Amino acid sequence: MATHEKVDVVIVGAGASGSLYAAELTKAGKKVVLLETGPDWQLTDLISSDIWGRRIKPAGIPFLLEGKNPYGFAYQAGWGVGGAALHYFANFPRYLPNDFKVKSEHGKGLDWPISYADLAPFYDKVAQEVGVSGDAKAEEVWRPKGQPYPMPPMKTFRNGDVWLKGLESVGIRMVPAAVGMNSTDFKGRPACLYDGWCHVGCPIGALANPLVTYLATARKGGAEVRAHSTVTRVLTNAAGDKVTGVEYYDANKEKQVQEASVVVMSAWAAQNPRLLLNSATDKHPKGLANSSGLLGHYMMAHYAAGTWAIFDEDVESHMGTVGAQYMSYDRYDKLSKKDKGAFGSTYIVAGTALKTTDLAGFANARMDLFGPQLADFMKSAKRGITRLTAFGEELPNIENRIEIADGKDEFGMPLARIVHSFGPEAVALWNANFEEGLAAAKAAGAKEFWSARGNMPTIHLFGGTIMGTDAGTSIADSYGQTHEIANLWIAGPGLFPTEGASNPTYTIFAVSQRGVEQLVAKWGSVAG
Amino acid sequence: MSELERRALLKGAGLGALAFSVGGTELLLTPRAARAQNVPFKTLTPAQAEALDALGETLLPGARAAGISHYIDQQISIPADEALLEARILNIRPPYANFYRAALGAIDKASRAHNGDRGVAQLSESERHAFVDQMRQNKVEGWQGPPGPFVYLILRSDAVDVVYGTMDGYSGLGIPYMAHIEPTKRW
Repeated sequence: MATHEKVDVVIVGAGASGSLYAAELTKAGKKVVLLETGPDWQLTDLISSDIWGRRIKPAGIPFLLEGKNPYGFAYQAGWGVGGAALHYFANFPRYLPNDFKVKSEHGKGLDWPISYADLAPFYDKVAQEVGVSGDAKAEEVWRPKGQPYPMPPMKTFRNGDVWLKGLESVGIRMVPAAVGMNSTDFKGRPACLYDGWCHVGCPIGALANPLVTYLATARKGGAEVRAHSTVTRVLTNAAGDKVTGVEYYDANKEKQVQEASVVVMSAWAAQNPRLLLNSATDKHPKGLANSSGLLGHYMMAHYAAGTWAIFDEDVESHMGTVGAQYMSYDRYDKLSKKDKGAFGSTYIVAGTALKTTDLAGFANARMDLFGPQLADFMKSAKRGITRLTAFGEELPNIENRIEIADGKDEFGMPLARIVHSFGPEAVALWNANFEEGLAAAKAAGAKEFWSARGNMPTIHLFGGTIMGTDAGTSIADSYGQTHEIANLWIAGPGLFPTEGASNPTYTIFAVSQRGVEQLVAKWGSVAG
Repeated sequence: MSELERRALLKGAGLGALAFSVGGTELLLTPRAARAQNVPFKTLTPAQAEALDALGETLLPGARAAGISHYIDQQISIPADEALLEARILNIRPPYANFYRAALGAIDKASRAHNGDRGVAQLSESERHAFVDQMRQNKVEGWQGPPGPFVYLILRSDAVDVVYGTMDGYSGLGIPYMAHIEPTKRW
């Protein structure tokens, strides 16, 4: 076992939040090491193919997936530098003010310890840093004013435009989607070509993945990225009041120790609790930062109600971006479908480039078809098919959890179990959103339309290390600093006490930006 | 060939074709070409490959000629980290060969039980279509193995991959592929 020279910060996971922390900490002059379990992907590795694109997702996961709605882990997860943000769709909707005080306003769920106003300046800052295209003014029908986005909205295509009339007729206004993509050249990165391969990694740098944003900044600032480095434990001092670094296994499966003044956990909402649970000591018998017993609890996922439609025109299904062209918060009120027994926000998007294969490909639009019927469908649908998607929110439920399980991974670390079931209000919202999607498709004049029903999908991942005001009810404060160990920080969607219905990465960036600025400002007391 | 050399070969090839072993030498071929050249199977038995070809063709015409059995054989014979199968993103635990063995075993057993001891490759096209339809709906009596609808999802996805997921597949459908970085050999 080798022990590496102590650094200021070791960051566990080189995805969205870890990359941002690394960029800002190097700017502040800190010596940073990022440990990433997967490969050190380059832009040239991002082949435009649904088949080859699967390489940037994990093969074999250290989690058992249980519950009524088992979590669809590998499709959502990242593997390698960039993390899941290497293949995200770069939809950048914000959370809205009503996302932050669900318990206070409705008597269910949880509150964030911060409000929208606390986060708003960081949304604006992130937009200027990574590049966001959209129409901020148009969004102000739903949210407080902020700065304009640095780029105008993206180009739209008929596969998005065809929905507008139908959505308007059911009372849903659409505005240009906010996306982390370049509608124009931006900071030396080119404008998007609208070829629709965002989801397998954008190799031209038009989409703001960490390789061309925060991770590039971090590397320029001197951060060291160690790929194929799998962390298994966070280490503490004898008193148990400080973390001292992490234990990890390198590409040759040899054990290493990286000592650091501060440890930032940014290994995603699932792996962070697994690691902290596996780091238990006699001083922290339930795992680090877990005196509340809530570590690993309140896991949440989004779900989507999709509506497929075929129009009697060429909608250029293959063109555009995989992220949305249009978005709407018109069903974002938590009670918007109360009459259906539902609770929670719905975020609606229209317009997406469709490819043939993989889970989101249009071959899966009719899972019941196979044989010559499937071949006929592919030929008949290719010209006019498009999809409308409504993302829904579930409430935090303490029973949705991550816990240590029997069995071990290749490094001898215990596996974990993710138990996840949607509650009745989420199921009701999912069903109600299907109904509205069909109404919109009919009003839009679609030739054929149907619901994309199957098993209720699990999309994105939240919770497990929630933020709050005290150690009795949460793991970390609103910056990500754990309540119990001052130099142990957490970043990413695991901090979210509720999940809203918006795609999360913009909010992950904003929360991380706020957190890292606090870490830098408090450095003396945190790392001392 | 060492692990390092094999990775370099893959990288140098632009990651388009797959590495098949022919006469002790690794060649980069599309599954369609591997089938045309009768490249020997590494992991699948001849009976399993025959069943996969038959099922693939029933799931999507053209899958047999596109090399579905060679695609799966090659993919379950390499380290899981390198695999491109839809199984990877559907949380199947590696080695992926175990899943395919279990799935094909369940199919064979069920087919024989309901069709006079004939394996799925020995069924007529209409019989096989009916069998797949039952499997899709989890209605095969006495089924023992991974859930039938999940097996349907995976094998159907493999068939779609080799028929419609390639540059040739897009071309056949008349959809512009528009790659930023092209897979080589139109794969």
